[in-house]
Amino acid sequence: MIVCVAVVGHQNNPLYIQSFTEADDALKLHHIVHCSLDVVDERVNNPKKSGPTLNETFLGLLYPTENYKVYGYLTNTKVKFIMVTTDLDVRDADVRNFFRRFHAAYVDAVSNPFHVPGKKITSRTFAERVSTIVKSFGLNAAG
Amino acid sequence: MGREVSESCLESLLTEIVSSYCNGFYANKPELAARRIEAIGFQVGHQLSERYTIDRQRFTDHLEAIKFICKDFWSELFKKQIDNLKTNHRGTFVLQDNRFRWLAHVSVDPSLDASGSIQDPSAMAENKASQATGMHLYFPCGIIRGALSNLGIPCAVSADISNLPACSFVVRIKA
Amino acid sequence: MEEYPEELRTPPVALACLVGCPDFHALITGHLHSQQPPINTIALPDFSKISVISKAAKENPATGLGKPVGGILKRDWLSKHRTRVPAVVAALFTSDHVSGNPAQWLQVCTDLENLKATIQGRNIKLLVVVVTQSSSKDDTSEDRMISLRKRAELDSKNLIIFVPDDPLELKQSLNRLGTACAELANTYYRDEGRRVKARLERKNFGSIELNIRYCFKVAVYAEFRRDWLEALKMYEEAYHALREVVGISTRLPPIQCLVEIKRIAEQLHFKMSTLLLHGGKVVEAITWFRRHINYYRRLNGAPEVIFLHWEWLSRQHLVFAQLLETCSATVQNVPTTVTVPADKLTEWELYPPYYYQLSAHYLKEKNSCLEFAISMSEDVGGIYGSVESVVASVYIGQFARLLEHEGTYTMQALTDDEYARYTLAEGKRFQDSFEIIALLKRSFEAYNNLKASRMASYCGVQMAREYFVMAEFSNAKQIFENIASLYRQEGWLTLLWEVLGYLRECSRGISSVKDFIEYSLEMAAMPITSNAVAPYFRDCGPAGPASLSQREKIHKEAFGVVTGESGTALSENNGLKVNGDCPLYLEIDLVSPLRVVLLASVAFHEQIVKPGARTMITISLQSQLPLNVEIDQLEVQFNQSECNFIITSDRKPHLAAISHVHPGRRVETAPTLELLTNKWLRLTYDVKPDQSGKLECIYVIARIGPNFTICCRAESPASMNDLPLWKFEDITETIPTKDPGLAFSGQKAIQVEESEPQVDLKLGPSGPALVGECFILPVTVASKGHAIHSGELKINLVDTKGGGLLSPREVEPFLADNLHVELVGISGQECADHSEANFDNIQKIQPSFGLISVPFLNVGDSWSCKLKIKWNRPKPIMVYVSLGYHPHSSESSSQKVHVHKSLQIEGKTAVTISHNYMLPFRRDSLLLSNFKANRDSDHTPTLPFNETSILIISVKNCSEVPLMLLSMSLEVEGDNSCTIQPQEEEFREPVLHVPEVVFRKVFAVIPKGNCSTLKMGTVSLKWQRDSGVGEDFHSCPTTSQVTKHRLSDVNVELPPLVVSLKCPPHAIVGNPFTYSVTIQNQTELLQEIKYSLDDSPSFVSSGPHNDMTFVLPKSEHVLSYMLVPLGLGSQQLPKVTVTSVRYNAGFQPSTTSSTVFIFPSKPRFQVSDVGETRPESITE
Repeated sequence: MIVCVAVVGHQNNPLYIQSFTEADDALKLHHIVHCSLDVVDERVNNPKKSGPTLNETFLGLLYPTENYKVYGYLTNTKVKFIMVTTDLDVRDADVRNFFRRFHAAYVDAVSNPFHVPGKKITSRTFAERVSTIVKSFGLNAAG
Repeated sequence: MGREVSESCLESLLTEIVSSYCNGFYANKPELAARRIEAIGFQVGHQLSERYTIDRQRFTDHLEAIKFICKDFWSELFKKQIDNLKTNHRGTFVLQDNRFRWLAHVSVDPSLDASGSIQDPSAMAENKASQATGMHLYFPCGIIRGALSNLGIPCAVSADISNLPACSFVVRIKA
Repeated sequence: MEEYPEELRTPPVALACLVGCPDFHALITGHLHSQQPPINTIALPDFSKISVISKAAKENPATGLGKPVGGILKRDWLSKHRTRVPAVVAALFTSDHVSGNPAQWLQVCTDLENLKATIQGRNIKLLVVVVTQSSSKDDTSEDRMISLRKRAELDSKNLIIFVPDDPLELKQSLNRLGTACAELANTYYRDEGRRVKARLERKNFGSIELNIRYCFKVAVYAEFRRDWLEALKMYEEAYHALREVVGISTRLPPIQCLVEIKRIAEQLHFKMSTLLLHGGKVVEAITWFRRHINYYRRLNGAPEVIFLHWEWLSRQHLVFAQLLETCSATVQNVPTTVTVPADKLTEWELYPPYYYQLSAHYLKEKNSCLEFAISMSEDVGGIYGSVESVVASVYIGQFARLLEHEGTYTMQALTDDEYARYTLAEGKRFQDSFEIIALLKRSFEAYNNLKASRMASYCGVQMAREYFVMAEFSNAKQIFENIASLYRQEGWLTLLWEVLGYLRECSRGISSVKDFIEYSLEMAAMPITSNAVAPYFRDCGPAGPASLSQREKIHKEAFGVVTGESGTALSENNGLKVNGDCPLYLEIDLVSPLRVVLLASVAFHEQIVKPGARTMITISLQSQLPLNVEIDQLEVQFNQSECNFIITSDRKPHLAAISHVHPGRRVETAPTLELLTNKWLRLTYDVKPDQSGKLECIYVIARIGPNFTICCRAESPASMNDLPLWKFEDITETIPTKDPGLAFSGQKAIQVEESEPQVDLKLGPSGPALVGECFILPVTVASKGHAIHSGELKINLVDTKGGGLLSPREVEPFLADNLHVELVGISGQECADHSEANFDNIQKIQPSFGLISVPFLNVGDSWSCKLKIKWNRPKPIMVYVSLGYHPHSSESSSQKVHVHKSLQIEGKTAVTISHNYMLPFRRDSLLLSNFKANRDSDHTPTLPFNETSILIISVKNCSEVPLMLLSMSLEVEGDNSCTIQPQEEEFREPVLHVPEVVFRKVFAVIPKGNCSTLKMGTVSLKWQRDSGVGEDFHSCPTTSQVTKHRLSDVNVELPPLVVSLKCPPHAIVGNPFTYSVTIQNQTELLQEIKYSLDDSPSFVSSGPHNDMTFVLPKSEHVLSYMLVPLGLGSQQLPKVTVTSVRYNAGFQPSTTSSTVFIFPSKPRFQVSDVGETRPESITE
């Protein structure tokens, strides 16, 4: 289950962050997302270690932490997508698919002429769409 | 399958933007008008680059990004690629389009132009005409700058019209 | 890791036992210990002590087969093999005893037999050492030795002769002993391993527990042998076997069973990790660790003792982190050698801080569970009584109650309930907060070293939270402050909100009002607009969830404190007081996070202003605080404090705050000074700057209530940074001024011009200056509008082409000769008139710079001075003159006014002098060097010796002004080897010399000396400007100048032949006249001369036409012709060519010298006219 997704701008500022959890650990998830930016930086700055995934937008597992796994995605425009899941066995393809759809939703949101580049995404349509994508991630994994 | 836009509509819109900024809002401040038109282009380029890079790997260097602008980005916008790309390898790139679509229907006829601006008879017709053509190029310049900025390459873009349908854009990357 | 027993933490070391001959034990022990691998020893002084290593009464495995196993691993098994069960026993006998009397030999035999009996059951290997002196080495009975070896059932290599008294032999003996020991130990451990392994292979174990135990034993024996691979394999096997026990073992009550299993798993995993890491297999170790944690993470155990699970997890991470840390210190460059495998090991998993952090996390989890468990158990009560005698049992991971029954102790198994109480009681005894902080601190520091600032920040937050819980506010505050800046910078609102909430409480805790207010205001002004409190945002720090209502609450509380009407929050804010005794003063600069609280943008409407003129200034204030703020008084401060003014609100005109006003300060009123959220409060006033220079608005100071002041640095709208945090928000931006132009380009500073100078500074008219003369430039200062106080005139000479006034080649800059142009002097008006009034006149003269003070001038007065400038070379220069003065008498207050003037002056050479030599009319000397000279390009003129030559000096006026030539003289240098006489008189009166005209003077030169080169001397020309024009400022009597011209040297030569023509100056048509050519031979030689006469159409001639003749030495030959002119006017005489055969040199008279004027009839001249026209006839 995805518990948190985030879009982070190129100044490492959160553009959109949403948790999908009933437990009272939203703040902790924010911390986890924020910490994952260090891994993104590390992976982009020292790309040798990532080997075949060089320059791929999908960054893969950023780090596992106590109950979560954190995945990352970095677009050409230096926007980072972060996803936190509680699933232990996650198929790479599912995560890739999730990020692809997430990215598409983001592009649609920022293509809104009333959106100012670099500012937070406040579009409700975007939020709904992300929520749908997040929910379907669970379904896909099951099926 | 992407959604498409009527080209003539777009051209009319561009013409209208230019004329309303140059003759309407900022009638006697051409620099301000140019800045506003460029800013519109900037946002368009910024947003388009977001969309057109969606399925691409990240660019490793400036040249790769510029090539993207020349090929894919230009194809998406104008259904053709840039015809010639030159660089001095020190951050300046010249992108030449031998038949720039948005200039295809622009002609410099001094008499026509003069008759179009009767309100301002003092203006020298020829100068005014090339200035008006130049105004049309702030928008594509802004698009290029917006796209490159969004790809993490801050730069300055200027345009140069040698003979009319051909147009070259000069990109200077800020160190 | 420290809590593990020593034998577990260190790799096993083989154990040997020494018996007998205690004198040598220390020596042998030391040697064995220093072996590679080392061997530990137990030393027994004599054979009576061997029972120490004898086998304890142990039930036969066969008999115990039916009995259930009490546990998996025995607690003391490992240490037993490390300290009590030797692999080898070395029996030491002295050679005296061996080869001694039968009683002694018998004793040896008995000891040996006893020893053999003792070690037999355990397969311990035997080594016999015979200690002998080197002297008596050969004395030892061979038979006895053989007999000894047979009795001991030993190979010969295991019977060692030990010679202690010879260094070399001792060394050999020790080496032999060491090798034998090591070999035997190896054999022992191998045999033991095989024995146990055989049991495993035969499945000869009753229970799975024994399987694990045997695997463990084999692994340990392998470790003794340093067979790491085998050890690792067996540990893994044990580990996997252990997995099978989970959930099926019913030997113990479930809680204790799980505890035991986890304990064993921990130990096995620890062994594996150590082996892997020391083998450099970091990735494998990490992968194993992951698996280990994944296996057991879900085995929480019973809920009442779940804290044990967290503790266990925490310990796993801690130990692994420590292992990783120690081995990455030894194994260098771990990460680079790692290629991330398919299961994606992530970056931080390679580094210890990751594990420290998780360890801390689980420890915290443990703490909270423990607290909960304790609070639950309080109700049950009496946990202490039942746990008093609980101790660790013989099996690892088990506990039992020690019961005393009449002096004997028995172990009694515990029930789970008892066990739980015991653990609770134990848990209560330890406080883990410091441990958590220590772990987080290690993680924090390590992450910082890895440049992972965000990870470090998270660790920091957790650490500071712990401090906060422990009420260590200053520690917590310090950490939080550092972290807050990162969150601010990156705009992570929720995280920042939490941190600021803690900071606020920390400030409250340490009673720091200023910090408390600052953090409160920052929180209140944060861009959180949603009012819906997400239900899952419960645990978000002391400030509660981030929401608009919470912001408003904080806002109210903060303003309650600063206005002193703390009302509701009074009880909480005991330490926080703002009153007359401790007023609060906040400063907001350009980088302060409080810019969102109050932002002051100040724009002048103009960029430049005249002094004393009024100009408009707009002060725009903005606040993002959620509630409206009423400012009582605003003070605007400038760098010119006279411009400062105060704005008070109309609504509260008579507030106490007005007392801050300096007397005499300007006070304005505004209709309202209320700040609305995100709305600009725009106030426009005028200011009147008096001083010139820059006028800059520096601070805008807001006073709210009597004791609260916010000092806000003014910002220019043109260069205003985005608001922190709010810049990421999607809100419409407003501009500080109504005029968009001003909003984009407005500045908080304005340039105040200097007051208009009302003084005329005049530089005199400039003609071109002439090189050499002292050029005088008059400067006039005339006051028109105001008086001149302490005026100062600065003069600068600058080369118009740039560069200095010195020629670059010249090295000594301050020699006057080297200066092309120099300022020679300044003479003031008063200077000449009354010298005593001139004392305070500063005069500084340097070659290109001058400074003179101007006396006080009243309005309408004028003053002038003269600059004397001298040109040494022709060069155009700029003269810059600047006058600085005070328009008012009080120097300090008023601004200096400057007037500048400049003038370009061309310096020119006045006259140029040239000269040339000529021979006398119609008389030519054959100068042989001229022929040569023509071929070369050497142009030293040659003069005939003892003949008259003519020197013509030409003077050209190059200037643009007429000059007077006063005199010209020729100074001959050196000897009187030639006579030079002016052909005319000296000037009786000065000669007027107008521009572009050449003046000539003729001298006759007759070289007399006998030297080949002749120094001709120097021409001196004295001249001055023509004063007749009436420019009186030039008419200084001293301005006559001398220009010198050095004549070049000449060659003097005795001409061998001199040819002179003779004919009348004029002739009359038809009248014949004589034309004679005289050839004079000045040599001692006979000269052969060829001559010829060309025909001329204008003349009829008679005489020899073409012939040859000889001229005798020192004599002359005359060729005479009679000519009858036919044409009129100037006619060319027939051309005569004379050629000297000897010198192969020809002579032809020049055209000018061979013309004659033919009159039609005899002319008449008036002789008296000739003298007057003479000067004119010379000048051209």
